[in-house]
Amino acid sequence: MPVYNAPLLEINQKETRRYAGLMKATFDEDMIASACLEARLLAKPQGIWQIYDYDAKNQIVLGKPSFTIKGGKIGFHLAGAEKVILLAVTVGEDIENTVTKHFNEGHYAFSMLLDAAATTAVEQIADAMEKTIQPKAEAQGYNMRWRFSPGYGDWPIEQQPELIRLSQATTIGISLTESMMLIPRKSITAIIGLIRENPDCRKDLPHGCAACNKKDCLSRYK
Amino acid sequence: MIHIFDGATGTMLQAAGLKPGACPELINIEQPEMIEAVHRAYIEAGATIIETNTFGATSLKLAHYGLADQTVKINQAAVKAAKKAAQNSAKVAGSMGPTGRFIKPLGDLDFETAYDAYHEQAAALAGAGADYLIIETSIDIQEMRAALLAAKEVCHLPVICQLSYSEDGRTVTGTDPQTAAITLDALGADIIGVNCSLGPEQLLPIVKTLAENTNKPISVQPNAGMPYLENGQTVFPMTPEDFGYWAPKLIEAGASYIGGCCGTTPAHITAIAKAASQTMEPEHQAKRTGLWLTSRSKTVCIDRDLATVLIGERINPTGRKKLAAEIKDGSLLSVKKEAIDQTRAGANLLDVNMGVGGIDQTAAMKQAIIEISQISDTPLVIDTSDAAALEAGLRAYPGRALINSVSAEPERLASFLPLAKKYGAAILCLPITEEGVPKTAEARCDTIKDILKAAKKTGLQDGDFLLDALVMTIAADTDACKETLHTLQLYREVFGYPSTMGLSNISYGLPNRPLINSNFFAMCLAAGLDAPIMNPYDDSMQATLSASAALLGRDPNGRAYSRNEVNQNVPKKAATAKIIAMDTLSAIKAAVIDGEKEGIGALIENAVKEGKDSNEITEKSLTAAMNDIGVDFGAGRVFLPQVLLSAEVMREAFQKLRELLPAQKAQNKGTVVMATVKGDVHDLGKNIVSALLANSGFKLIDLGKDVDSAAIVRTAIETNADIVGLCALMTTTMVQIDKVVQELHAAGSPAKVMVGGAALTQEYADAAGADAYASDGVVAVDLAKKMVKK
Repeated sequence: MPVYNAPLLEINQKETRRYAGLMKATFDEDMIASACLEARLLAKPQGIWQIYDYDAKNQIVLGKPSFTIKGGKIGFHLAGAEKVILLAVTVGEDIENTVTKHFNEGHYAFSMLLDAAATTAVEQIADAMEKTIQPKAEAQGYNMRWRFSPGYGDWPIEQQPELIRLSQATTIGISLTESMMLIPRKSITAIIGLIRENPDCRKDLPHGCAACNKKDCLSRYK
Repeated sequence: MIHIFDGATGTMLQAAGLKPGACPELINIEQPEMIEAVHRAYIEAGATIIETNTFGATSLKLAHYGLADQTVKINQAAVKAAKKAAQNSAKVAGSMGPTGRFIKPLGDLDFETAYDAYHEQAAALAGAGADYLIIETSIDIQEMRAALLAAKEVCHLPVICQLSYSEDGRTVTGTDPQTAAITLDALGADIIGVNCSLGPEQLLPIVKTLAENTNKPISVQPNAGMPYLENGQTVFPMTPEDFGYWAPKLIEAGASYIGGCCGTTPAHITAIAKAASQTMEPEHQAKRTGLWLTSRSKTVCIDRDLATVLIGERINPTGRKKLAAEIKDGSLLSVKKEAIDQTRAGANLLDVNMGVGGIDQTAAMKQAIIEISQISDTPLVIDTSDAAALEAGLRAYPGRALINSVSAEPERLASFLPLAKKYGAAILCLPITEEGVPKTAEARCDTIKDILKAAKKTGLQDGDFLLDALVMTIAADTDACKETLHTLQLYREVFGYPSTMGLSNISYGLPNRPLINSNFFAMCLAAGLDAPIMNPYDDSMQATLSASAALLGRDPNGRAYSRNEVNQNVPKKAATAKIIAMDTLSAIKAAVIDGEKEGIGALIENAVKEGKDSNEITEKSLTAAMNDIGVDFGAGRVFLPQVLLSAEVMREAFQKLRELLPAQKAQNKGTVVMATVKGDVHDLGKNIVSALLANSGFKLIDLGKDVDSAAIVRTAIETNADIVGLCALMTTTMVQIDKVVQELHAAGSPAKVMVGGAALTQEYADAAGADAYASDGVVAVDLAKKMVKK
């Protein structure tokens, strides 16, 4: 039901630097700023989420039809959840096409920064959406777990079609290729567990960079 | 007098037998005695205003229970039950809650659909005899605007407007209490307030800010503290005594309507009623002067004691063919870019003019206002002479806009002033009559008086006006400057309202216009100009503004001026030291390493003039540079975007070499066929590797993304490729690598296979039979060089 297309009043330059693999290097800040600006202009932020009852013991999202989640880590992460939110966000395809256009024109570095800015933007849109869901969840006595996407840990990416179905992502123009890639590419699907207990009091999976096997990633937090 | 609202209703209804999951509003018609009992409990507890049980009784919400067709009946029954319980000992407020959806473009709900739903509900509540309407718990100012406009349309009851704020002091969609107070006051809210989501302690500063920004009464209905979970149940911690403790503080902060929201009970209401009866109500007088404008999340004030407000004039297609053509094509990309760029250049307000011939003005203005508001928080000025376009813009705008402009022409007054009043906009008053521009300052003042008289008759008031002093051309009228300056002075003396004007007209027809313009600007600022309409990119005007602010005391002791000037004297790039005598080949190498694209063409020309051939330049400068960069990258001293900048310089260098020495054969280290495998549409990573290889002397055949194995193998055979580079980013697509490797072997290709991509590992590459795994583009170049040597 709920659609939330968060405004993009800025794109975080620090995160853009990180996604571009720049870490703390000295680099032309104007170029980073103009990549963030161009991404803001080209982005068409859209987001949608749905809430479902969840059978944590059997890892079943009680949609119609229901959906059994595979994977031990996601099962552990959602343990005790009574409900789950399935969400999808995207910044649209224009940015991606412009990244390619800049690269073909020989603006390699700018192209890469624009791609990084788009990644930052889609994460921000997802964060902003979580922020709108949070008061509703809290009002019902729930705490939100951090968002988890197919492909993290041992959650097979082959379950992506179920996330598209249950989040109703197609209504905001997100589709899936046969190889389970989201189109537009700068999109996110994820699940968030709603639990009654305080999340600070439970054992947590490592998440973010710490949970990722790609040890040689240029954007990895050291 | 302090008015006392009731407290939470839902929990009491549940205690009385309402089943979880049932529609709480349906009991208004099915069991009205149940809701009457709740109302009576609150009236006995001391409530002087009770809220009808219609929080979720818009047709949009009732549709969830299949009850949309009962909307009117449910709302009428709710008022009836409340009035029956009140028996004239309490007032009845018709409650209107959120739709549960966001208004476009934040969400998928049409503004007009929300408006219609609230219109229906407000009409039913008012028609059944409610004393107030209360729009509450809203987190989106657009939803609040839709509901308030609808409420004002159907009745003359006082309307209470309460938003909900998060712990950061803003609504979830970004509106702060100051902005809300100004926007809702102008739009005609009678009581402005806050409820839910936080406890009284957290709401105290919000109440204070609201009271400082509007003279309308303030209402507050906190939750019983910040909830926590106990045995899976939400618990609101505040006892009635704790809750009552905060009532006098909320009253002192400016609230005169107090009640409770989630977690409050009749006992809580008794506690605040008791505390309130013992509290003196302070006189509520907001300290507001000047003209206040808002966007969804920002407030800007134009006032003589505050900094000059720049109105950016660049979103205007007049005389700008490219912009006009783009708007005509339906693209707002440049419009949005101007919004961001002008704001960065210092504009505090943005004028929006969509005056392109042959387009639907109304649709264009609406779309521009929506899209700019979604990307920028700078308040907007709607610049049009078309009343329909104006209304479309005002209706869509999630704040309080300025209308540019209202002249003394009767038709303009008649069509624009009611829209300003209805939508809570301020007006830019232009002293032009049907006869044209009055020549003298006195005559301009007289015309302004006429406009103000008509405006006040329509309901506009102090704080709604910005006066334009009008600028004529000195080349045509010797006294043009003097009259404008005099007009500015008279405006301050006679009206006391802030002033504005466009400046550049003054110098029309003269040489060196910037000199005239900036001097004129300084004079106008001294004469009292508050909000110039100008090009914020104009450095000479910005310099004049900065100096004038220091001179006129708007920048105390010239502190901001000093900071600006000091910064400007610092060279932007400390790169000057590098002009050490260097031979040309070393200079080319240094330029590549530093990513300096600008001088590379000239350097290559010099090298060629010195008699160096293509090979020597490539080997000693370009390849040498790339080798150094590779080493630095490997050691973590240089990062990928920097490597790409160097590659861009290499690309320019090679192009120049081909242009200058077309006969010399370009170096060819080997042929590489590159592709992102079938099913995978990532191409940036593959493009980076291709660019780095191409600029390291390899012949590149890039097949693109989503490439079938057969096409890769065919190309490898046909071009006698030395290397096949494959990119796969997903676990679902990397199996394609195995396929390509097998088919290459089967076809007898001698090419080595190099693979890379996010999901890949050395182990996977080995298992698939690839010859090498490259973790990044720099490693790929290194590996490729080794492969062709073997």
